[in-house]
Amino acid sequence: MISRLKERLIRYWRISDQVAREKAVGTIEAELEELENIFAVLVLGSYIGLPSPPMHIALDLMPMMERELGLMLEKVDTANEPIARLFSTLDID
Amino acid sequence: MDLIPSIFFMGKGGVGKSTSAALSAVQLTRQGKRVLLVSMDPAHNQSDIFQTRLGEHPKAVAEGLTVIEIDLASWVRRYLKSVQQQIRQTYTYLTAFNLEGYFDVMKYAPGLEEHALVLAYRHLRKTWSKRMDCLVCDMPPTALSLRFFSLPQLSLIWIDQLKTLREKIIAKRELITKIRLGRAEIERDKVLGRINEQASDYRHLKACFEDPQQTHIHMVLNPDLLSSAESLRIRESLKSAGISLKRIICNKAAPGTVNPSLEKGLDDIPLVSLPLADRPLIGLPALTEYLDADQRSVARRLDGCGIDG
Repeated sequence: MISRLKERLIRYWRISDQVAREKAVGTIEAELEELENIFAVLVLGSYIGLPSPPMHIALDLMPMMERELGLMLEKVDTANEPIARLFSTLDID
Repeated sequence: MDLIPSIFFMGKGGVGKSTSAALSAVQLTRQGKRVLLVSMDPAHNQSDIFQTRLGEHPKAVAEGLTVIEIDLASWVRRYLKSVQQQIRQTYTYLTAFNLEGYFDVMKYAPGLEEHALVLAYRHLRKTWSKRMDCLVCDMPPTALSLRFFSLPQLSLIWIDQLKTLREKIIAKRELITKIRLGRAEIERDKVLGRINEQASDYRHLKACFEDPQQTHIHMVLNPDLLSSAESLRIRESLKSAGISLKRIICNKAAPGTVNPSLEKGLDDIPLVSLPLADRPLIGLPALTEYLDADQRSVARRLDGCGIDG
C-alpha cells in the first residue's frame, strides 16, 4: 500500500512538474513568438509594405526564414483580434 | 587579407572618367605593373576606347593590360537564382507559395544594382589579386557609385540591429528548452550564422574602402562650375562613409593650363591636369601618343597614379 501511495505521489509530482513547466514557458513562448514576428517583419516587411533593410540582406536571410515567414502569415489571421489573443496568452477568462 | 590596390575613377557624367581610367591603366603598364582595367559603368565605354569587343571574360589589350566589362544585369540574375535555389532546398511546405513569380520582379528591386556591383568587385579581387598589381575601375554614374561605396556602412547598421534582436530570440529559446528539459539545448541558429557572415564580409569591405593603401579614389572633373560642384558633393558624401579622395584629375583643361583653380573644398587634394586632346583618344596608339606628347608631359603627371605612395 505504501509503495502504491509512493507511486501515485511520484506520478502526481511528475504531472504537476510538467504542468508548471508548461505554464512557465507559455508566456515566454508568446513573447518569443512576438520577437520572431518582429524580426520577420523587419527583414521581410517589404513584402507587406513596410520599410525594410537593404534588399540583399533580406534576400540573404530568406532561405533560412521559412518558419518566420509562416509565423508572419499566421499573424495576419489573428491581426483582427489582438485583445483576444492577449487575453488568451495571459490566461484571462 | 589581399592588399591589391584599387583605383576608382569617379565623376560627373561626360567628364572623361573612362578615358582617364584608360590613360592611367596604360601608363601603369608602362611602369611595369600588371593592370586589370574593370569597366563597371553600364555605358561600357572601354570597348569603344580600345576598339575591341569586351565582356565578362578578361581580354588582354596590351602588354600587362587586361580589360573586363561587368555585366550588372547578369550578376543580379545569378544572385537571385542562387537565393531561389537555396529556398527550394530549405523550404518545405511554403514551396507552394510560387516564389518564382516574385523573383521575376525582384531583379528590379531598389538596392540590387549596387549589391551586384559589390559582388562583382569582391569576385574580381578574389580572382585577380595574385595575378595583378592593381585594379583600375571605371565607375558608373555618381548615384550608383556613391551607393556602392556606402553599401557596407548602411548594411552594417541594419545587420547590427538584426543581430541584437536575433540574439534575444535565441536567449529566449534557450530559456524555454532549459525550463522544459531541465537543461539548455543549444542548437546552431542558421539565421544568426548568416548574419554574422554578412557582418564579417561588410566589415572587411568597409575597412578596404577606408584604407588609403587599398582604395584610391580619383575624382575626374572638367574646368567648369557644374563639374566642380558635383565633385564637391561627391567628396562630402564619401567623407561621411569614411572614404577620402586620393587625387583630382582635371580633364579637358585648356592648352597651357597647368593647375586650374579649384573650388574651395577640393583645393587641398593633389591635382593632375589633362589637357584637351587635339584628336579623339580612341585606340591604344592614340592613348600612347597622348601620353608621350612632350609638351604636355601627361605621362609624367600620371606617373604612379598615387598607388606607390
